[in-house]
Amino acid sequence: MSVTTLAPISARRRRIDAIMRGSLAVATILALIPLVLVLYYVIKKGIGAWSVDFFTTDPTGNFLGDPGGIKSAILGTLEIVALASLISIPIGIGVALYLVEYGKQSWLANAIRYFVDVMTGVPSIVFGLFVYVTLVIGSGYAAWKGSVALALLMLPIVARSSEVVLNLVPDSLREAALALGTPRWRVVMRVVLPTAATGLVTGALLAIARGAGETAPLLFTASLINATNFDLGKATNSLPLQIFSDVQQAQDRLQQRAWGAALTLVVLILVLTLVARLVARRRTV
Amino acid sequence: MEAGTLTPRGDRSILQRSPRERAADPLFRALLLGLGLAVLVIIVYFFIKLISESTDAFSKFGFLGFTFGADWDVSRAQFGAWPLLFGTIVTSAIALIIGVPIAVATALFVTELCPRRFRTPLTILVDLLAAVPSVVYGLWGFLFLAPKLRGLQQFLADTFSFLPFVGGPVAGPSYFIAGLILAIMILPIVSAISREVVQRVPVENKEAALALGATRWEMIRMAILPYSRAGITGASMLGLGRALGETIAVTLVIGNSATIGKQLFDQGYTLAAVIANEFGEAANNPLHSSALFAAGLVLFVLTLVVNAAARAVVQRSERLGKPAKPADPVVAEASAAVGV
Amino acid sequence: MRSTRWLAGMTAAALALGVAACGDSDNSSTSSAGSSGASKVSGSITGAGSTLAAPIYQQWGSNLKGQGITLNFQPVGSGAGVTAWEQGTADFAGSDPALGDDELAAASKKGGDPVHIPTVFGGITVSYNVSGVKEGLKLDGKTAADIYLGKVKKWNDPEIAGQNPGTSLPDKNITVVHRSDSSGTTKGFTQFLADYSPEWKSGPGVDKTIKWPTGTGAKGNNGVAAAVKQSDGAIGYVEQAYALENNFTFAAVKNKDGKYVLPTLESTSAAGDSLELPDDLRFTAINAPGANTYPIVSQTFIIVHTDLCAGGMSDQKANVFKAFIDYGLSSDGQNAAKELSYAPLPTQLLDKAKAQVAKLKCNGSALAGA
Repeated sequence: MSVTTLAPISARRRRIDAIMRGSLAVATILALIPLVLVLYYVIKKGIGAWSVDFFTTDPTGNFLGDPGGIKSAILGTLEIVALASLISIPIGIGVALYLVEYGKQSWLANAIRYFVDVMTGVPSIVFGLFVYVTLVIGSGYAAWKGSVALALLMLPIVARSSEVVLNLVPDSLREAALALGTPRWRVVMRVVLPTAATGLVTGALLAIARGAGETAPLLFTASLINATNFDLGKATNSLPLQIFSDVQQAQDRLQQRAWGAALTLVVLILVLTLVARLVARRRTV
Repeated sequence: MEAGTLTPRGDRSILQRSPRERAADPLFRALLLGLGLAVLVIIVYFFIKLISESTDAFSKFGFLGFTFGADWDVSRAQFGAWPLLFGTIVTSAIALIIGVPIAVATALFVTELCPRRFRTPLTILVDLLAAVPSVVYGLWGFLFLAPKLRGLQQFLADTFSFLPFVGGPVAGPSYFIAGLILAIMILPIVSAISREVVQRVPVENKEAALALGATRWEMIRMAILPYSRAGITGASMLGLGRALGETIAVTLVIGNSATIGKQLFDQGYTLAAVIANEFGEAANNPLHSSALFAAGLVLFVLTLVVNAAARAVVQRSERLGKPAKPADPVVAEASAAVGV
Repeated sequence: MRSTRWLAGMTAAALALGVAACGDSDNSSTSSAGSSGASKVSGSITGAGSTLAAPIYQQWGSNLKGQGITLNFQPVGSGAGVTAWEQGTADFAGSDPALGDDELAAASKKGGDPVHIPTVFGGITVSYNVSGVKEGLKLDGKTAADIYLGKVKKWNDPEIAGQNPGTSLPDKNITVVHRSDSSGTTKGFTQFLADYSPEWKSGPGVDKTIKWPTGTGAKGNNGVAAAVKQSDGAIGYVEQAYALENNFTFAAVKNKDGKYVLPTLESTSAAGDSLELPDDLRFTAINAPGANTYPIVSQTFIIVHTDLCAGGMSDQKANVFKAFIDYGLSSDGQNAAKELSYAPLPTQLLDKAKAQVAKLKCNGSALAGA
């Protein structure tokens, strides 16, 4: 650096600077192109498929004629993801609480932390395999088994993001409450959790958004059916699987349904993500 | 911010707790500990199950024989995962080569060059890429990108056929298309973490470079990049981990052919894709099913090694006096996600 | 803070609602359709397997909807169908090839001998998407095998041109498309290739899933159709209903008698005329003799255990299955097949199929509808 100190900026350096700045800008535009293209096509083709019937009828499964809508897929995704959230969010936050409030740097806490980290790297299809051999064999597909597979995927995300957020709660708050004689569990429930609430909600919403878009863990757990089903013990349709199946069909009307379902799924996940970001902005910690 | 009600009850001082209240604390602790242990047990069981389900295939072919065997032939009960592993590695490598420079450049542009008022919108836009589910990328890749780029691929194959691994007829689905889709999919994560890393470069370092007469680019090159190299490497490897395990989008555009492609534009297969395609029919055939579990295990070990390496790289550079944060790409990702 | 509380509350409420919605009903599968009378059975049944036969099963299912019968047939391929049936994730399997001896033995252990009920014949077309080349390109088994072996790479290769004098063929690469899943269509097609190409027989071989020397893999007949539709220069083997539905052009294939025959209802039906039928009906219709016979015609079966209930079905499901298969083998069902260009079973075979259905039991006693 010292060589260039205070020397007037040569034309060559100026040129390099301009070129590199330009390349960085171009790269940013390149990064946005696929986003624009994906959204453009999903919206353009998807809107065309949308209609009242599209949302209020089940897929007919007929080879010819009306393919039907995606009602069962939408409801199925809501059921499966809701249950997966009910499993993974409380457990994930609980584990994070343990790590932050009690475990800290003990060997057990570190072991849990390590394995949870390892879980974040497990390819989602492998969770599907695991649930298949432990739960599906012999008793068939069911919505709740899909939820378990999704919960395995969401749990590390919730646990890890919650831990980050809980660590941000100032110790002074905890100490102040403890000094007043409050029992530890009340400190956690009344001080730590409310303080970290927005961050926890953000993490949870992002985990839900991630789970809602996953296809691979549902392939061998919840299956693909046509009819709407509210029984968590039975095979249940879902948006990602419906899209995956419809893409691989040659008929235009089925591919069109895939676009329509994709738009529905993208809107659902974007809303979750945007809400998560809005919540994150209002963070109090 | 309310801190709960801490008023004394009745005459009793808050320091004199009822036995029930005194019991509550250990109970609460035990509950949380139980949750932690339960999760630990499930994860450990998960690995044990994964390993025990794959033993058939490993004992028949040997670990190396399975992993590097070149023949994946279900009807002859030959299971060598090398064509799949090869496809997994090639597509992920393509994803890194295309995705990382663009992601890092985007992070640099957003944090250092672009006007302040565009910063947030650009950040949100790039992050939106992460909100698109993989099946939608698959849909778009299969119905739009692969057909549209077939001409381009053929052109590249013909024009650059003097290069190794380039040339030959182009069918549409290929390692290249799969790598391209993966590049798009890892872009937001690599970019988000790189952004975090770049933002943590101390202002003094940047200002010092500028004060010494460096141009913007020289400031980036001399002050930012050396400082954040470890973080960016970690981010890339985390992206690599994602790319390795991606299933649905890849299976739609890779061509599902269990051969070892000789060219960039050949069709191939990946570990994750073969599991998705074949598991439905394999459950009845113990060896086939075991081979798919073994494929899952190989895939998992691969991602584990990559993720561990990502962390090691970051931590080693820390010991050499580089920044304390982000210590850990996983934490960095979580931080980026919750907007800390 | 207030608004975030509200948000958290909303999320919780939404979750609770979702759960409440999940808990409140189990009426989707067993409710009676009311109008169709008390003597009729109603309920739902799940099958899985053959994508070759999926369109007709789905058609039969939709024709029976009025009676309160819901058929849920998952087109996952013959191989996955048999697996799903044996694993208990499907009530019956749809499989184009009959079970092999070892498969039969494995399935027998689990609850009674499996019964093969043939339903229809489907023509496997060799469809292509080559701009400028019309329907009826002539191909023999050897050429098809060479294309799938990757030896014939261009559409104007002398091996193709030699059989098609007068047709102008483009200098275009052939994009080979095949199945990636375990498929009866694949078994039929590879059987046909092996009959004409020793190199195919000793190389890739004949099975539901093989190691393909070249090409793109796609899932199901529909997936192959989608892939063929995607790319100019593609060739793929798909069942006729899929080819017709997608307006594909397909080849006239040279049959055993040396004639080039297009797949039509007549030429595929002809394949059923001179079959030799074993008692358990485990036959194959590939490469059947006859001057007007289309050579790549696949039989397709529904496979269940003789004793449906011992095999895992409830009493009600067994009766629903009986109603379904009765309809499929009735003249209405067989005529519905024709509309989708499936060849109906010839009388002799239809009678044997019905005899198989008559054997079905539930826990040792005959079925209600019998």
